[in-house]
Amino acid sequence: MAKKQRGEKSLQSKKADREKRTNEFKLELDSSDDEAPDEVTFENSKTQALQSRKEALDRARREKELLKDKRRKRQELFQEQKKRKLLPADVLEEVASAPSKKQRPSTDEEDKQLQKKKRKLRKSLKHRRVVKGNYTVMLVKERVESHQQQSARDFVQSRLYGPGSHRSTNNELLSLENKTGKNKGAAMQFVKVDWASKKKAKAEKEKKRWIHKQQILSC
Amino acid sequence: MGEFKVHRVRFFDYMPSAIRTMAFNSRSERLALARADGAVELFNFADNYFQDKVIPGREGRDTEALCWVGRRLFSAGLNGEITEYDLEKLRPRYTVAAFGGAIWTMSSNSQGSLLAVGCEDGTVKIFEVLEETIRHQRNLARQKGRIVSLSWHPSGTLIAAGMMDMIQIFDAETGQATHRLLVEKRLRASKSVEVVVWSVVFLSDHTIVSGDSAGKVQMWDGSTGTLIRTYLVSKWDVLALAVSQDERSLVAGTSEGTVIQFQFLSTVDQQPEEWIRTRTFKNHSHDVRALAHTETAVVSGGMDVQLVVRPLLDKVERNTQEAALRKIAFPHRNLVCCAKKAGLLLFQFPEHLEVWRLGESDGHAGRPGDRLPVKRKPEKLIELKRKGEDHICCSALSPCGGWIAYSTVSGVRLYRFQHNNNIRISKVSRLPKVLCSVQQLCFSSDSSKLFASTSHSSLIVVGLNQSECKYLNTLKPKSDSRQPVHLLAASDDGRWLAAANTDCEIHVYNLEKMKIHCSVPIHSSCPTAIAIHPVTSSLVAVHADQQIFEYSLELKEYTEWSRKLQKQGLHSLWLERDTPVTHITFNPRNPAHIVLHDAFMFCIIDQSLPLPEAKAVLYNQMTLRSLPESDRPRHSHAFKICKSFQHLMCVSLLDDHSLVAVERPLQDIMCQLPPPVRQKKFAT
Repeated sequence: MAKKQRGEKSLQSKKADREKRTNEFKLELDSSDDEAPDEVTFENSKTQALQSRKEALDRARREKELLKDKRRKRQELFQEQKKRKLLPADVLEEVASAPSKKQRPSTDEEDKQLQKKKRKLRKSLKHRRVVKGNYTVMLVKERVESHQQQSARDFVQSRLYGPGSHRSTNNELLSLENKTGKNKGAAMQFVKVDWASKKKAKAEKEKKRWIHKQQILSC
Repeated sequence: MGEFKVHRVRFFDYMPSAIRTMAFNSRSERLALARADGAVELFNFADNYFQDKVIPGREGRDTEALCWVGRRLFSAGLNGEITEYDLEKLRPRYTVAAFGGAIWTMSSNSQGSLLAVGCEDGTVKIFEVLEETIRHQRNLARQKGRIVSLSWHPSGTLIAAGMMDMIQIFDAETGQATHRLLVEKRLRASKSVEVVVWSVVFLSDHTIVSGDSAGKVQMWDGSTGTLIRTYLVSKWDVLALAVSQDERSLVAGTSEGTVIQFQFLSTVDQQPEEWIRTRTFKNHSHDVRALAHTETAVVSGGMDVQLVVRPLLDKVERNTQEAALRKIAFPHRNLVCCAKKAGLLLFQFPEHLEVWRLGESDGHAGRPGDRLPVKRKPEKLIELKRKGEDHICCSALSPCGGWIAYSTVSGVRLYRFQHNNNIRISKVSRLPKVLCSVQQLCFSSDSSKLFASTSHSSLIVVGLNQSECKYLNTLKPKSDSRQPVHLLAASDDGRWLAAANTDCEIHVYNLEKMKIHCSVPIHSSCPTAIAIHPVTSSLVAVHADQQIFEYSLELKEYTEWSRKLQKQGLHSLWLERDTPVTHITFNPRNPAHIVLHDAFMFCIIDQSLPLPEAKAVLYNQMTLRSLPESDRPRHSHAFKICKSFQHLMCVSLLDDHSLVAVERPLQDIMCQLPPPVRQKKFAT
């Protein structure tokens, strides 16, 4: 529309220009020093001015509407994304209805029995709640450490022990005396004590089993 | 002296955690130390550096800063919370979240009214210290970068904050940042690696001293924002700074383990004074992360888990006990419990408990010092993990081995333990509600009662039956001391119970009448170990200044032997030992023997022999062995000290007359520390 308008305007302006030029040309053609200039009537110029103002207002309105449209579309998009993040509505409904079901009033006769059942349920389920359908709601038992704490720890670790910190091992520090002293010896941790620990434990078990078997066989 | 079969135990993998920060309170002469696992320890410097209080840590506490405000102790950590500790109940009083991310540093102004906290998000938050709590007052102008260190000017009007690549000076009243001091990077370091200003100190003449990760200690003029002097001190980071009260001495701790002292002197007469580097101490093998400067000494601690107190020789007299270097590596309390009848050992770790059965040997006694063949190896019976996130405060194993109890700041747990043929453990539920915050636990010798100490030095007696327990009684002392009980001892015949608290009081209770029997006269030093003799019913107490007392419970007075010992005085070498005695036990075969041990030696005191003279040789066991039998009685004295086992965590006598010595060599601990810096030495 705007383009059209502009196009129209340009056409109009071109027309006006042409007219002006033709006028001027005419003037030039017929001009002589004696003739008076052509009159442009007041109404014409008034209508021209009014029109241009109306067009400006129209343009502004249309731009506002465009912006509104854009904003509305963006809002709808966000709402849709938010809806996608939440659980499906049916699960939420069931979870919301489950505690309300528990709070249903019980009659006097069944009061004690219900209380017993509740206590048993509470004991057995503790932090779990089975909800209709295939959903279970469970409290996370382990402490979830904040991401900030972990990143702070990593910062200190990387500054002190990270790349570029030029660190050696404890073995080297403790073995310095053995290496450079008068009586040279092996390093402090020359033998790796925890080498193949699982294999050693397995061998130990097998040995015990064999001895036990031998004892049974002998007696 | 009879011969003992010794179980030499080295399977206690005790691993202390690194010292992260410390703060000294000069009024009460106490040093508060925070370790990497969140535990806070208090050392009484006036009482022979005795570690009298330990507040157990917690998973995820990550303490980064410790601060004294008057008599109150605050800590802040990477979990973003400020914690105040109750030093009488040995637990956190409350925590306040700062909502700024991880907290890196905390400092209080000299008036003790405000607490400034530096956070990960670049804000310095000011908290008001009120009577019972702290309250957030305001934030200073937020910066782009984390605040790693803080220091108040002594007048309380300015704050210097060390950040990444710069130091920012804030006006504490308006909260605006005034000067920015830019710190240079290391020579030949890449542009992306920022310099971390690990520590700043603001002096009263507006000088700011900073230590950074480029290994420099720099002195700045805080009023103009210019650099006065740079000292390149190390190739690695300078991690900690501490200044003395009179601001004439400054120490800096580095990653290499060195502590460098700067003093405010004038080198030539009539020249203005300036900061000059004076001494270098190399007492650590790993990074020094915590420093404190007392009036007479420099206290340092770091990743090599040892606390080192180095008295400055221009403040103390040379060649005296005061001027000696002190290294504290092991805790001053017992972490091993020995079940005498069952031959079991309970090891207390911060996060779990282990019960081991001792091995057996059927070798016969040969020459002293011989190794006997092991018939059955020691085995770990059970490993019990603690419930919840708090670390274990204290634990106990009954002498028959059937009950295990431990306590954390959140509660007490009691377990029934079966170890005969098959190993079974079952928790005793429904403990009496009074057993909530307990500092010490002790079983009676017949395993029928459990004694627990709570607030106001009172004791709770709980009766144990087959698989359940019942609250019996509460025993209260006559004095209204609020300090916690740190030692409990029950007599073998079940008649007496002794409790010692950190106010140096020892109270003895009569268990048959269930009320207080007497209180031992107060000695100026805190008791470090107490025990009741099974035969003579006398209480033996050893104190932090290495004095030994024996108090008769029936007669309610010091025994003859104790008076003789006090009159003659202890040998000077005994008094110069720097680790406290942590456990006393008795020999069932010989009632005149008292067996006690500290980290470096164990000693059998024979009360029937004469006491050593001041000039006699104290450690004379080896010389006595070389003498012929007939000459020995002439030279022997009451203190028989053996140094073959080090470092001792516990020495105990079992019912079958064998000795258990639990050792933890310091080298085994050193092997498991984090890596030290690589120092290239010539020809290695």
